[in-house]
Amino acid sequence: MDGNTTVDQEYYRMMEELQQLDFALVELTLYLDTHPDDMQALQQFNQLSQQRQQAAYRFECRYGPLMQFGHSYSRYPWQWMDTPWPWQV
Amino acid sequence: MNNQLREWHPYVGPFDPCPPMRVKTYIVPPNLFAPFQPANLQQYSLPEALRLGTLWPAYYSPYESRMLEGRS
Repeated sequence: MDGNTTVDQEYYRMMEELQQLDFALVELTLYLDTHPDDMQALQQFNQLSQQRQQAAYRFECRYGPLMQFGHSYSRYPWQWMDTPWPWQV
Repeated sequence: MNNQLREWHPYVGPFDPCPPMRVKTYIVPPNLFAPFQPANLQQYSLPEALRLGTLWPAYYSPYESRMLEGRS
């Protein structure tokens, strides 16, 4: 991602998928805080977090790291400071 | 109208400087009535949940803005 390459539709689609998964995970986390013995919700939470990891992995393979400080990999050369940044897309 | 909308009528004194607001409304979200969430509630699909702001239809509260309506 160099200069001012515009990102393709796939970028937005994968980003939205991540957002959907993340929001559901937040909701389930808050729910499980008060319902620790709800097996069905816990299974859903684990399934969704696995899906989220896979979605994030696919995204990062294609568009670079999502997080920093060792939470994401980077290709060569260092991709972290490439544009676009999340607020620019 | 929206079943979560409640309204009340503020006191209007004879010496109020500004035109009075005779009706004021507020929202009563579902979590007031069922604070402890029952298990295995029906869920929205993920895209809907993200857009509507909740995973469970039982706790959905639209909270539309009334800014566009004229002064009541």
